[in-house]
Amino acid sequence: MTGSRALSIGTRTLSHVAVWFYAALLLLPLYFLVVSSLKDNTEIYADGFGLPPKWRWENYVNAWNYVDLGHALFNSAYVTVLSEILIIVLAVPAAYGVARSRGWIGKLVERSLTLGFLIPGFAALVPTVLLAIGLGLFRTREFLILDYVAGAMPLSVILLAQYVRALPHELEESARVDGANRLQILWRIYLPLIMPALATVMLLNFINIWNEYLIALVIGGPSVDIRTAQVALPTLVTNQAAQFGLLTAGTVIVLIPVYLCYLALRKRMENALVSGALKG
Amino acid sequence: MTAEASAPASPAARGVGGGGGPTRPPASASRSRRSRREGRDPGLLALPAFLWFLVFLVGPLISVFYLSLTDATTLIAPMEFSGFGNFVAMFTDPTFWIALRNTAVQVVVVVPLMVVGGFMIGYYLMLRPPLAGVLRVLFFTSALLSVSAKAMIFYAVLQPNGLLNQTLEAVGLGSLTTTWLANSDTALPVIMAIDLWSGIGFLGILFAAQLTSVSGEVLEAARIDGCGHWRTMWHIAFGMVRGFVGVVAMLQFLWTLFLSATTVLLLTKGGPGTSSTTLSYLLFAKAFQQNDIGYSQAVGVVLFVVGVGGAVAIRAALRSRA
Repeated sequence: MTGSRALSIGTRTLSHVAVWFYAALLLLPLYFLVVSSLKDNTEIYADGFGLPPKWRWENYVNAWNYVDLGHALFNSAYVTVLSEILIIVLAVPAAYGVARSRGWIGKLVERSLTLGFLIPGFAALVPTVLLAIGLGLFRTREFLILDYVAGAMPLSVILLAQYVRALPHELEESARVDGANRLQILWRIYLPLIMPALATVMLLNFINIWNEYLIALVIGGPSVDIRTAQVALPTLVTNQAAQFGLLTAGTVIVLIPVYLCYLALRKRMENALVSGALKG
Repeated sequence: MTAEASAPASPAARGVGGGGGPTRPPASASRSRRSRREGRDPGLLALPAFLWFLVFLVGPLISVFYLSLTDATTLIAPMEFSGFGNFVAMFTDPTFWIALRNTAVQVVVVVPLMVVGGFMIGYYLMLRPPLAGVLRVLFFTSALLSVSAKAMIFYAVLQPNGLLNQTLEAVGLGSLTTTWLANSDTALPVIMAIDLWSGIGFLGILFAAQLTSVSGEVLEAARIDGCGHWRTMWHIAFGMVRGFVGVVAMLQFLWTLFLSATTVLLLTKGGPGTSSTTLSYLLFAKAFQQNDIGYSQAVGVVLFVVGVGGAVAIRAALRSRA
């Protein structure tokens, strides 16, 4: 008895040590990121762990100017906001349709979207570029929007449909008696009720679209007028011959929007990330 | 039936939607009045989104198979049907086999470590240890980093004078320092380590959420019965979320298989030599750097087949025992 308890205390200590060792591994590069953004190369090479001897805020200014991060952040915001609007316009009616469909259409759509969720968009990267060229939208932010909206459909519709399904049918009966049509019912009765699920979907899409790199690189390309923040960031490596202070400062700038959102909406964002992964 | 026929609105949609109509029990009077009021199948509202999905995702995905059978070179060059030429070229290209091996190593190392490590962290978090809140914030933070930001962080950390080598020097392991990204023995392990770095914690959070929702009291009981944590974790908790572990393992497999191109592109460009070229990166490089769309899409077909086969196998192996 005492033997097994001793063992249990042993494993418990071991598990604390193991988890916190991993936590330290996570934290160190993040700490390095932040302190390096206020140093120059000599200081980083001399002591990567130390606090900045002199706080070089000019790294942020220079990183911002060298790769035109202002423009890039605007492009990211433009693509993200317009995508979100289109996603809502398409996914809310679709989720209602899937959840309330009495026929094969709803089933077909839901099954296809569930399968679509499994296949990463990367698999179709090359034909997607050809489609952009065919539509005359290669090297535009607008095609990025069209593509991101399509990529967001599986998760958005499935999550919203699950929520709608849990709402009682009787909700719309009385409105129907009053002669309201489907879109009015959707707008007036369902939209206010599905707000929590909609917030989850919008947060997930915000993270996914804001953080997307490869499609933005290949479709949008390197031009300053089109490239998003994620595409602009790595050009700091080539542009500035590896000045790590600038590189890390630029990285911090690009991370700020998502992270501020996380700090402001912590619980909601955590639930969104968990349910987004679980419902697949 | 008569009620249905008398309703003028779109008989086609109703014919399918109301298929169960005639067999419905006696309350058919009120039923059919209701279905008349409801009109068309609301499923129609899903069609715009579905169409969008078909045009921008399913269509391109199917085109991968077609393009793999053409001699397409650049994105704008005219292309002709060329049979299985690309597959012959691919299967006789040593680089393809190296990429296949690298991808196999990547999947075999990353997926099990990620799922097992994530599950253990999830179990740990479920027990609500001290400072669990701090751990959660840290794990979520790593999950919120974009791939390009993560690559830039590690680009700085792994420099010859970067944080990793400085740390090794500081703890007396100076002999282990190397040029991590430019050494053909470490380039691929580094790519895998970056995935694990941010992935294990996030999977831990997912498992913690799932364990908490299905099993709180049962696990409490097991503890009172004197089961050690190690046994409770693997014999009881694991069994309870087995199906969920299967889903997570399958998704992680697909992510690892398909999505390494970005990290490889930003950190090693597949090198030195071909030491860190994965199938995902080979697809990207052939299409956008070496002007060989046909070959690139042949790799795409291989990825697709391996992805579907692997996903089905993982699901079958880790079904929940109902």
